[in-house]
Amino acid sequence: MTPRIEVRDIHKHFAGVHALAGVDFSVAPGEIHALLGENGAGKSTLSKIIAGVYAADRGEIFLDGQAVEDLTEAKAGRLGIGIVHQEGSLVDQLSVSENIFSGRQPTGFLGQIDRRKLRQWSSDLLGQLGLDVDPDARVADLPTALRQVVEIAKALSHRPKLLILDEPTAALTLNETAALFSVVRKLAAQGVAVVYVSHRLAEIFELCNKVTVLKDGYLVGTFAVADTDTDRLIRLMVGRELHFAREPATRSPGEVLIEARSVASGPAVRDASVTVRRGEIVCLAGLVGCGRTELCEVLFGARRREAGSIVFKGRQFSPTSPARAIASGIGMVCEDRKQGGLFLDRDIAENVAVTVLDGVSNGPLVSRQKMDALAQNYVRALDIAAPSVRTQVSNLSGGNQQKVLLAKWLAVEPDLLIVDEPTRGVDVGARSEIYRLLRELAAKGVGLLVVSSDLPEVLALADRIVVMADGCTVGEMAGDEADEVGILRLATRGSRIGTEIMEPAR
Amino acid sequence: MNDLTSIQSASQAPETARAAGAGAVLRRIVESRPLTLLVLNVALCVVMTIFYPSNFMTEANIAAVLLNAAQAGILVVGMMILMIGGAFDLSIGSTLALAGVVAGALVGWMGYPAEIGLLGGVAAGAVAGLFNGLIVTRIGINPLIATLATLSIYRGLTQLIGASGVTPISNDFKFYGQVRFLGLQSPFWAMLIVVVVGGWAVARTKLFRKYYYIGGNPRAAQLSGIDVNRLMLGAFVLMGALAGLAGVLAAARLNSAVVSAGIGVELSVITATVLGGASLKGGEGSILGGILGVLFIALVQNAMIINGIGVFWQGIIIGLVLLLAVSLDRFKRGHRA
Repeated sequence: MTPRIEVRDIHKHFAGVHALAGVDFSVAPGEIHALLGENGAGKSTLSKIIAGVYAADRGEIFLDGQAVEDLTEAKAGRLGIGIVHQEGSLVDQLSVSENIFSGRQPTGFLGQIDRRKLRQWSSDLLGQLGLDVDPDARVADLPTALRQVVEIAKALSHRPKLLILDEPTAALTLNETAALFSVVRKLAAQGVAVVYVSHRLAEIFELCNKVTVLKDGYLVGTFAVADTDTDRLIRLMVGRELHFAREPATRSPGEVLIEARSVASGPAVRDASVTVRRGEIVCLAGLVGCGRTELCEVLFGARRREAGSIVFKGRQFSPTSPARAIASGIGMVCEDRKQGGLFLDRDIAENVAVTVLDGVSNGPLVSRQKMDALAQNYVRALDIAAPSVRTQVSNLSGGNQQKVLLAKWLAVEPDLLIVDEPTRGVDVGARSEIYRLLRELAAKGVGLLVVSSDLPEVLALADRIVVMADGCTVGEMAGDEADEVGILRLATRGSRIGTEIMEPAR
Repeated sequence: MNDLTSIQSASQAPETARAAGAGAVLRRIVESRPLTLLVLNVALCVVMTIFYPSNFMTEANIAAVLLNAAQAGILVVGMMILMIGGAFDLSIGSTLALAGVVAGALVGWMGYPAEIGLLGGVAAGAVAGLFNGLIVTRIGINPLIATLATLSIYRGLTQLIGASGVTPISNDFKFYGQVRFLGLQSPFWAMLIVVVVGGWAVARTKLFRKYYYIGGNPRAAQLSGIDVNRLMLGAFVLMGALAGLAGVLAAARLNSAVVSAGIGVELSVITATVLGGASLKGGEGSILGGILGVLFIALVQNAMIINGIGVFWQGIIIGLVLLLAVSLDRFKRGHRA
């Protein structure tokens, strides 16, 4: 059978980095083909080349056996290639249905938009995805998970022959993921070719027929999923065995570092209490929207506290701004590195030094040498893959960006480090390095408060787990006694969003 | 790829190597906005010197060009800092007039000493800037709309205070706008000090480097411990104070506070700032670029006057160069992405 898409000998450079070095790849109609690799392996680059977002430096692309020249996004769209990006392509101010059918709204005979039909089309499509989203809702009002679903609906509305999904489940709950999978299977049964980019191995075994592994821009190989297993794929990706097993806590937590009592802030945080000791990793678990992030923001001075008390290092603590919190010894790695974390247009050194400008200055003058030297230390310590500390952060892969973000907070040498979703959009290799790093920090006496939606991550890291539901802390358990069922039971108890289930281990 | 081809051609033929070398130099020049502007400015001077040797490179003409650039040169420093931080100020023309009228009223009508007038004018500008900054940072109104409103308010206030202007102000006051040093009038020296101090501060100091972070990603800057609102408020106050300085100097130079002073100056200053490498989304630009942009505009104006082509061409040429510079930037970025 002629492959739906075939690429041969694709090369691509970015700012001196060889992102793809002669990759061959093909997907047959009806096939669900996983693209797998570590950060910077070239998965996203390859899928963006196929979707016409980037132009390859060299190589050929064939669609249904026909050579395709000068592929652009618009042309790819016309040819039936659809892509769901990791990041938003939605217009916040418009409704769900207007976003899904942007530019192709059904019109009446005067050219006016036929709203009734538009709503009908959208709810049909969303119904297929098993979703109960109001087509008239403004995208700005939707939670992240639902936005992702709207993105997928938008791509599907083009009735693509080839659908590329780049980490589609990163923000989805279990139910949404299951619904997505059934849609993807249905599409494949209809002859659509699917390229599935993901870090989650379990998803690949559940969904895909074939898997292509990339490493450092090179093709490692293409395998039938049935002929391989998790360990083998991990070995191929990283060249070493990895496990996120829980490490027995060799450290003993010290004195109480921070103690928050009955903290409240707006509707998001209603009654939350949490304690972190020195040298302890405390994980905040709970459903999406339970107020975990907002609680962290209160502790960090980024959100107003309306009730309750915080004692930090033995003193009453009322941070009025992140600057105050940082000065007192608190750092916060925020959830969304592109919005609240990094300065993408600036270089690595400037990103790392932003929290410690005093430390890299002589009096009032910033010293570029000190800045570079500081960044160089962290590039080495965290094994950040970049040509130099003057490399613009937007040129780095997701995992390396996450490490730069961590470096920025390690530079503060905080007593308490809050880490919101430490490994979002980060591959297995970088993930284990980040875990090691967090454990080392705790061993040095830093208190860590980690927010995570990934239960295996919570279980692997936590000395203690605090569960939140509906803006309240509802329970607490020791890390070595906890299991997923127990956490889920607490997290869904009395919750008004009890239908949403956290993502269990895969 | 380009490096590779240049190495290959170098081994093959020296002539092409030289051509490739010239290409590399050209790329360097296009990559750096201040360098592009510097080359343009020097080229303009050379061409003018060749074609109009007796008109252009004369002491009087150069002094005139520099004096002409002084006002925009002072303003471009404040505007560049605002734009690096992701904001801008449309009210500077009105602020400038307000400061002039306040100074004129203090000295010419109320009989205060000239120095009080100067300080009062600058302070009036700073207060105007403070008001802009408070609207933008506390109420959260977009700078475009906030300063569009105050552009109108400050002009009205100027007319309210100044009626038909203050003429003459006083001889003591006039001294500060007309005193010469090394053949150049005081506004030029004021600009030089503002530009040198501002350029140094923006390039080197911790305080002003923070504006690059704010413009690059305001939320990340806030979460990194930078007090975004306070710094942006400071930038608006500085802009207002500099507009005040430009206003009192203009009034002193003419010994007259005119209520219609500075109309339209905001657009030419923003033109120079963008020409100098700033972008509307913030995080980019330098004082060096900004002042070279101001000089470029002043030189084009001067060239037009000397060769008698006419003032209508000024606007066309400055506009075209602005479009060309920004397009080059887009092109460069498009290649990188």
